[in-house]
Amino acid sequence: MTQPNRLSGGLIDRTRLLVFRFNGQVMQGYQGDTLASALLANGRRLVGRSFKYHRPRGIFSAGPEEPNALIQLRKGPETEPNTRDTVTELFDGLEAASQNHRGPLDWDLLAVNDWLAPFLSAGFYYKTFMWPRAFWERLYEPVIRASAGLGRLSGEPDPDIYDHGFLHCDILVIGAGPAGLSAALAAGRTGARVILADEDFRLGGRLNSETYEVGGLPGPDWAQAAEAELATLENVRLLPRTTVYGVFDHGTYGALERKTDHLARADGKPRQILWRIHAKRAILCAGATERSIAFADNDRPGVMLAGAVRAYANRFGVAPGRRVAIFTNNADGLRTADDLKAQGVEIAGVFDTRDDAIVTGTQGRKGLKSITLKSGRRVRADCLAVSGGWSPNLHLTCHLRGRPVWRDDIAAFVPGPDLPGGMTVAGAANGALALHAALTQGRTAANAAAKDLGFTPSRKQAPKASDEPIEIKPFWHVKGTRRAWVDLQNDVTTKDVHQSHQEGFRSVEHLKRYTTLGMATDQGKTANVLGLAILAEASGKTIAETGTTIFRPPYTPAPIGAFAGRARGKDFRPTRLTPSHKWAAENGASFAETGAWLRAEWYTRGGEKGWRDSVDREALAVRGAVGICDVSTLGKIDIQGRDAADFLDRVYANPFLKLPVGRVRYGLMLREDGFVYDDGTTARLSPTHYVMTTTTANAVLVFRELEFARQCLWPDLDVHLISVTDAWAQYAVAGPKSRDLLSGAVDDLDLSNDAFPFMACASCTVFGGTPARLFRISFSGELAYEIAVPSRYGDAMIRALMQAGAKFGATPYGVEALSVLRIEKGHAAGGELTGQTTARQLGLGGMVSGKKDAIGTVLSRRPEMTQDGDLRLMGFRPVDRAATLNAGAHFLTPGDPADLNHDQGWMTSVAWSPTFGHSIGLGILKNGAARIGETVRAYDPIRGKDTPVEVVSPHFHDPEGAIQRG
Amino acid sequence: MADLTPTSPLGGYDQPTGGLRVGELTGLALVSLAIPLDGEAKAAKAVKSAFRLDLPAPGMSTASNTYRLIRTAPDQLLLAFDDDSPDPAPQIAKALKTTAYTTDQTGAWVTLELSGASVRPALERLCPLDLHPAAFRVDAAHRTVMEHLGVLIVRTGDNSFWLMSASSSAMSFLHAMECTIRYFS
Repeated sequence: MTQPNRLSGGLIDRTRLLVFRFNGQVMQGYQGDTLASALLANGRRLVGRSFKYHRPRGIFSAGPEEPNALIQLRKGPETEPNTRDTVTELFDGLEAASQNHRGPLDWDLLAVNDWLAPFLSAGFYYKTFMWPRAFWERLYEPVIRASAGLGRLSGEPDPDIYDHGFLHCDILVIGAGPAGLSAALAAGRTGARVILADEDFRLGGRLNSETYEVGGLPGPDWAQAAEAELATLENVRLLPRTTVYGVFDHGTYGALERKTDHLARADGKPRQILWRIHAKRAILCAGATERSIAFADNDRPGVMLAGAVRAYANRFGVAPGRRVAIFTNNADGLRTADDLKAQGVEIAGVFDTRDDAIVTGTQGRKGLKSITLKSGRRVRADCLAVSGGWSPNLHLTCHLRGRPVWRDDIAAFVPGPDLPGGMTVAGAANGALALHAALTQGRTAANAAAKDLGFTPSRKQAPKASDEPIEIKPFWHVKGTRRAWVDLQNDVTTKDVHQSHQEGFRSVEHLKRYTTLGMATDQGKTANVLGLAILAEASGKTIAETGTTIFRPPYTPAPIGAFAGRARGKDFRPTRLTPSHKWAAENGASFAETGAWLRAEWYTRGGEKGWRDSVDREALAVRGAVGICDVSTLGKIDIQGRDAADFLDRVYANPFLKLPVGRVRYGLMLREDGFVYDDGTTARLSPTHYVMTTTTANAVLVFRELEFARQCLWPDLDVHLISVTDAWAQYAVAGPKSRDLLSGAVDDLDLSNDAFPFMACASCTVFGGTPARLFRISFSGELAYEIAVPSRYGDAMIRALMQAGAKFGATPYGVEALSVLRIEKGHAAGGELTGQTTARQLGLGGMVSGKKDAIGTVLSRRPEMTQDGDLRLMGFRPVDRAATLNAGAHFLTPGDPADLNHDQGWMTSVAWSPTFGHSIGLGILKNGAARIGETVRAYDPIRGKDTPVEVVSPHFHDPEGAIQRG
Repeated sequence: MADLTPTSPLGGYDQPTGGLRVGELTGLALVSLAIPLDGEAKAAKAVKSAFRLDLPAPGMSTASNTYRLIRTAPDQLLLAFDDDSPDPAPQIAKALKTTAYTTDQTGAWVTLELSGASVRPALERLCPLDLHPAAFRVDAAHRTVMEHLGVLIVRTGDNSFWLMSASSSAMSFLHAMECTIRYFS
C-alpha cells in the first residue's frame, strides 16, 4: 500500500489519498495523479503487452501520445478498452486491468509470438493467410479476431449518457500551454469572446512538467494565475478536460469534453459532451510531442520519453526509476538530468548522440535493468529517458488537407501555408520550441485575430521567460541486427520499415498500410516522424521529399457513443403522434411506425387471436356499417393567392383551373422526368384558397417541391404555401352509415347526396360550434367522408365521433384495414407509387392532360415511357383461393423459364380480403389490360413460392364506383 | 358554444427547475399572415393600424403587450397573441382588411417558454444557434433544428425564449427539453 517511488513536491494534493486497483492489486495515489503516475509511484513498471509480439511494455509517455500503457478501465458494461493510463485522471475506487495477454500479465502465454518474430514481419498476414481458401472465414478470421483488438468491449449496451452541445466564439484557443494561455489572455483582454480548450485537467501544458519560470513565477504558478485572470473575464470560457479533435468546414471545430470520466460515478449526468464549436478565428497552441530514437530493444518497461520522465518527477512527484540514464540527440535531454538530480534521483549517465555517446541495446525481460553503449560498456539503469526531438502537434492544421513542411533547424515538420480558414498556429505547434517564443507567438496571434475581428488589441506584453535556442542534430536510429522499435503500439520495427521499402512500398501512405505504422489509438504520435525518417534514409530521399501521411479527425480517440449523443434506442429520432393517439392507446391500438409517425395499425378486441382477426373485423365494419380512421398524417398544405389555381394547374398533371369552390379533385403529380411521385386531393374553399393533401410519406417532399416551384420557377405568381399537417386533426368516416353518423356531428349542413355529393367540400362546424372542414372523398370505395377539426380538438373529436357513432356500429380502424380496403378498391399507394411507375402503368394515363403543360408532362411522353410493353396495374387472385400472395413476386407466363428475359411484371401490394374471402393482389403486368382472365405464375424465389394467379381488374370492389357516389 | 374541449400538446407542462423554468404556453393563438405579391406596403400599413406593430425584419419579431409578430419568410409572418377561441384567424383577416392571407396555425405548434438565469447554458445543449445577446438580441426569431426537430426560437427577453416546434412531435420535443434540463447543470 506504500508508494515507493513517490518523491517530494509535484502538483498533487497529498491530503487527498485515493485508493485504486490495478489487476486486482490495491494501490494508492493522490488527487492530481493520472493512473500512469500513480502506477509508477507504486513501482509498477510492467503495465501491458504489445500488440503483435506480446512483449512486456511499460509507461512510455505522460500524455495523449501514449502507445503502450493501454488499459481496460472500469468493470461491467461501463468498461472501456484501450484507455491510455497517461490521460486517465485518478479517482477513488478506480479499477483498471491490463490487456492483450493470455493468463497473468507477468506470464503471458502469447509471449511465444516474440520467439516467432522472424515469421511475423511486416505484411505477414497478407502473405500467410492466403491458403487454403476454406480457412479464411472458418479459421483465420476467428483466430485473428481473437488475438487482435487489444482490449475487449463488454458486449452490453453502454450505460453512460453522452450529450451534444453548441458553442460559439470569436477566437478559439486550442491548448492551454504557455502559448495557449498567452493567446487566451491577450484575446480575452480585447473583449473578444474566447474559448480556451485543453485536453488536460490542469491548464498549463508543459509548464506543469518543467521547471521553467514565467514572469518571475514558477511555470505552474504563472499558469494558475493566468487561469485565475481568465476566469474573471466574462467573455472567456475555459474548457479543461476538452480535446478539440477535429477541424471541419467553415470554422467548425469538434471538441470532446470529459465531464464525469474523472469521477467514480456520473450520477445521471453525461459522461462526455461532444461540442460543435463555431469559431470565427482559431489559434492552435497544441504544443509538441517528443519522439524516440530507434535502437535495439528500446521497448522495455523503463524506456521512456525524457519529457515524460520530467513530467513524472516535476508534476506528479514520482521517480520513474531509481537510477535513470538519458539518451538524447538534443539539448532538451540534459534538462532531464538536472530536474531528476534536483529531486534526488540518481543519474546513471547522459548519453548524447552529438558526442557519439550511443545506446545500442538494453537488458531486462520485464523491466529495464541495464543498457549497452556503443563502446560495449553496460550501464546499470532501471529507467532510460530518451529524447529524439520534438514534433509539433500540427494535426489539426491538416484536417482540411493542409500539408506540413519540414524545418531542418528543429528537425521537425511544422504547419504548412495552407491552414484551415481562420486558423493560425502559435508556440511549439508552430515550431517555436523555446518558452519565450511560444508566449510571444501566442500573444501576437491572438492580437492579430482580435484586430482582424474589429477588437482593439491589448498592449500588454507577453511575460518574460527563457528563450533557449533549439539545439538538435537529427539522429533517428542505431543500426544493428536486433529489433529496434519505431512504433511501439503496432510493434513496427526499423526492419519492418526497411522490408516494406524493399518490397516496393515506397510511399509513406503505403508504408503505413503495409506495416500498420501510425495506426490505432495513438495514430503514431511518437512514431510517424521516426518511421518516415527511416523510410527516407532507405529510399535515399530527404524527409521533406518523403512527406507525411494525412492526418484526419479525431486527434485522439473519441467514443462512438459521444457521436451518437442522445440519439439511441427509441430516441434515435423524434416520434410524431396523431391527435387521436391517446384515445387509440386507451382503446387497444397497436401502433406502427410510418416514417416518424406512430399510427394505429389495428385495435384489438376481446377474443381476437391475432392481428388478422382485428383487421378483418375492422374492414368488414367499414363495408357493413361505418368505420373511423385517423388520417391526420396525410400531408396538408394550405395554398392561397390570386394565382393559386394557375399554380395548381402547373404542378398537377391533370387540370385544376376550373375546379369550382366547394369541390375536391384527385390530383396526380409527376416528377420533372415524367414519373409519378405523389397523388392526393385538393379542395377549393374559396376563389383564392385551396387545401391540398399529399401522401403521408411524401408530405415533406411535396411541400419542398411546391416551394421550389413557387420561389424559383414562377416567382411572378401570387401563391403562398403553409403546412397545416399538424394544424388539423382529420378523420376518415367511411361506410354505408357514415352519412348517418356525420349528420349527428356536423352542424347545419345538408349532407344529402344532392346537396353534398361525392367530391364536395365545405367549411362547417361540428358538435355545436367547433370549426371543421368536411370533404366527401373515399379511399375505401365506400360512401365516405373526411372530417377535419383544429388539431387541439382532435382528441375530443374522436371521442365525440365514437359516441355519436355508437348507435351505427362505428368501429375504429387502423392502417392495416385501410390498406386492405384500398387494395380491394384498387387505389394506388406506396407499393405502386415507387417513383418508377408512370401514370399509364397505374391506369391513370388519361389524367395527364394533353391540353396544358405541367411539371413532368412533356417527359412523360417520351417513347421510353410509353413503349414499355403496356405494363399496367392489374388485380390478381389466386387460382387456388386458399393460397396466399406475397408482394414482390414476379409474374411469369406458365411454361416460361424463371429468368429476367421472361419477366412479365411484379406484384406490388397484397392483402387477405375479408370481403371476398381470399387473398388479392395488385401488380404491374405486361400488356395487362388485354390479359384479364389469363392465369400467370406469381413466382417468388425468395420465399420459395410459385402461385398460379388469375388476372382481374384492379378494382375488386365496386368497379363502377356507384357505392362511393351513392 | 362548442361542446368539444381543446387539449394542448403537452397538457400545460410547467416545470420550474432551479434557474430555469420551462412551461407550455397553452392559450397562445397563432395565425400565419402571407403577404400578397407586391403587397408589403399595404400589409405593413394594415398591420400598423390593426396591431400597432411594424413588420419585423427577417430573423426578427416585433412585439406589443398584446401581440408578437414574427417574420418567418420573406412574404410570411406569424402573429402570436393570447386567445383561446376555436378559430382565431377570421378576426385577424378582418382586421387586416384582406391585405394578407391568413391561416390558423394555433394547433400546428407547441410553444415552450424558457426563462431564468440558466436558460442560455441549458440551450447550449440543444440549440445550434449563437444565443449571445450580441448575436441574438431580444426579439430575434430564427428557425433552426434541435434534436432533429424543426424549431422556431424567439428571444422574448434577456433571459426568456419561446421555442416553437411541431405539435405532433411535442412529446419528443419535451423529452429533448427534459434531457437538457437533467444534463446541462
